[in-house]
Amino acid sequence: MKLLNVLLVLVALAVFSGCGKRETRVDVAIREQILLYGNKSEPQDLDPHVVQGTGEHQIISALLEGLVAEDPKTLDPVPGLAERWEISPDGKVYTFHIRATAKWSNGDAVTADDFVKSYRRILTPSLGSLYSYMLHPLKNAKAISEGKITDSTQLGARAVDARTLELTLECPTSYLLNSMASHYTWWAVHMPTVEKHGDPYKPGNKWTRPENYVGNGPFILTEWVPNSVIRVRKNTNYWDAANVRLNGIDFLPIESVDSEERSFRAGQLHRTEELPNGKIDAYRKDNPKLLRIDDFLGNYYYRVNVGHAALKDKRVRHALSQALDRQAIVDTVTRGGQRPAFAFTPPNTVGYTSRAQLKFDVEGAKKLLADAGYPGGKGLPPVEIHYNTSENHRAIAEAIQQMWKKNLGVDATLRNEEWKVYLDTQTATNYMVSRAGWIGDYPDPNTFLETFLSYSGNNRTGFANPEYDRLVNAAACANDPKARYELFQQAEALLLDELPLLPIYFYTRVYLLHPSVQNWFANYQDHHPFKYVYLEATAK
Amino acid sequence: MPDVAEIDAAEPGASLWRDAWLRLRKNRLAVFGGVALIIITLFCLVGPWLSRYTYEEQDFAQYAKPPSALHWFGTDKLGRDQMTRIMHGGRISLGVGICATLVSLTIGVLYGALAGFLGGKTDAAMMRIVDILYALPFTVFVILLMVVFGRNIVLLFVAIGAVEWLTMARIVRGQVQSLRKQEFIEAALSLGLSQRRIILRHMIPNVLGPVAVYTTLTIPAVMLLEAFLSFLGLGVQPPMSSWGTMIKDGAELMEEFPWLLMIPAAFFSLTLFSLNFLGDGLRDALDVRTSKD
Repeated sequence: MKLLNVLLVLVALAVFSGCGKRETRVDVAIREQILLYGNKSEPQDLDPHVVQGTGEHQIISALLEGLVAEDPKTLDPVPGLAERWEISPDGKVYTFHIRATAKWSNGDAVTADDFVKSYRRILTPSLGSLYSYMLHPLKNAKAISEGKITDSTQLGARAVDARTLELTLECPTSYLLNSMASHYTWWAVHMPTVEKHGDPYKPGNKWTRPENYVGNGPFILTEWVPNSVIRVRKNTNYWDAANVRLNGIDFLPIESVDSEERSFRAGQLHRTEELPNGKIDAYRKDNPKLLRIDDFLGNYYYRVNVGHAALKDKRVRHALSQALDRQAIVDTVTRGGQRPAFAFTPPNTVGYTSRAQLKFDVEGAKKLLADAGYPGGKGLPPVEIHYNTSENHRAIAEAIQQMWKKNLGVDATLRNEEWKVYLDTQTATNYMVSRAGWIGDYPDPNTFLETFLSYSGNNRTGFANPEYDRLVNAAACANDPKARYELFQQAEALLLDELPLLPIYFYTRVYLLHPSVQNWFANYQDHHPFKYVYLEATAK
Repeated sequence: MPDVAEIDAAEPGASLWRDAWLRLRKNRLAVFGGVALIIITLFCLVGPWLSRYTYEEQDFAQYAKPPSALHWFGTDKLGRDQMTRIMHGGRISLGVGICATLVSLTIGVLYGALAGFLGGKTDAAMMRIVDILYALPFTVFVILLMVVFGRNIVLLFVAIGAVEWLTMARIVRGQVQSLRKQEFIEAALSLGLSQRRIILRHMIPNVLGPVAVYTTLTIPAVMLLEAFLSFLGLGVQPPMSSWGTMIKDGAELMEEFPWLLMIPAAFFSLTLFSLNFLGDGLRDALDVRTSKD
């Protein structure tokens, strides 16, 4: 068997070495208008109500569309399956009018009822959707998802007629349209199909198999080979099919950053998910046309366990923060054009920039530490930095370890854990300082600030402040944008004063993109609506 | 191969060890290996005292600089002096290599010799235990040890040694089984020597050849294991590093910063070669059968 393989390879080599310039997979795909998309990891599933990752988002956004879609450049909400919508003056009732031409891939018309049933489905506790909280702005949605209301017809979603959907909210939610456009939890599934292939209210339904999948987006799922490829091809029943230029997309799950980069170089991919840090400089120098560095709506930070005896005093936390030379970290260690983070919400998130800012001040840090009773770091136990196993995280932790030692005299140790163990440790708040990253789910400060609510599952620091909860919840319901941002300002100032986190830098997306890919615009959510994308052969 | 007749003529009636030493000295490669090992060891032990850098000191202005007068071996991605890091890494790598190998050597040789010599049911039982230990997944075993005893570099030595002796025991057992049938053992038995004396005086010196070779192969294997465990977060913790972790990090950056891979790899291979040459030389030198022909 092994011998046979070797022989096959030899024969293949002999055949291919004959032709001088072999067409790469990318060249063939350009002719066929098939986008070859490196997508990092195998998706959990393709059910928009079950999954939670960003890789899944990319695939699902090809298969399904929301009532509202995203503008490819600005990501502003534009009409999707709904041709228009009205908002009541008090901002609490949204009425969507679905297009007459909106169809599922099996030919059925898309109805308002599809959305009502889908929203009830995702909020059903037995489905266990981790992202159901995205729908909490809807009236009674929180109570239903927590099982406090069992009658799901009380949900603030109603089909007025076949093509008119009325959403009633708990309180005015100014980011609702953005959230509906960018997040798959708001997209509908074809309930008759879901019901046919298993219990629609339990995970593990078989409707997402390629032979069963029914979608309403620009593409349909045609093939899914686990750990190898997911192929989607043009959906002729899509309402705007005439304007879809790609014939299909192949999503290729490649876990290793290094092998993904090699595949790209070998002409196997149009787009990679990432680029190894060490290779950024080389691409910048030799192949700047292939390298993409886009600002990204995310924050790389360290969680601080505020319940830990040594870190209980906020002066210690501020000292640790002020001793960090964030500029040096992004310039020397990460090198991907990241911006140093002195607040939690990325600057200019839809016009919001935190007034409160942290600073880099070694002398101030020393003084704070001395005031807290640890002059020159004496008496403070070694700070353990906990991170998930990765070269990039380790390099940052090593740099920070050295900064604390040099600037404060504080010793730090490193502890790395494999992803799932790392998550458990964090959830149990069984650490001192732990690496984290938060990527905004929709462009609004709320997606950042709500993670530090005392009851949020993404808090994991032991930080609980009733005033903070009050401010963020009040902001969520404020109808006047100015007053709303003012509440966020106060909340963030409070957060940065209590400091249960050490922000380090704001993410950028660093990846490789083949020059043949057109209509691909840099934006801070890394969303590139596929219906606009096309490929064009470029002169070599 | 040394000229047996000449040695016999020059040193009549010399002891086993003296013979071996003389033959070893004649073997140029083995001498080279030994000298190289001593130099590398001294470099790692004494070097850090003489270096003007520390292994953890970062200088961001010196981001990944190639070898220069200031940094002879260049600097890494955090601006740390690579020469100093290699010295410190060598202490860990050589330390783990030697300690773990000694542990495995002691347990493996005694266990294997005993099983092979006693034979029968005792042998079967002892070897089945080895089989069972073989089946134990190494990583799981080490993680268990770490959970019970905490993170500790000494523990790492012991853990690796405690696993590496299995193959050694099998090799020694096989050798001893074949020796046992030979006349000189029969003679020793009929003279009424104690089992202990036969094993220690007659069996073990006779299996030294294969043992020496296997030992020199174990040391590099152990060094690699240590690198693997460190990567999982179970071995050396940053900012400390070993040669294994330096090579692993360097391999990812070899296109941009080749010296980060080449220099630690050169040290690693040189050590490995030296050990192999020395091992080869030792096997020839200690092979009693060639000397007493």
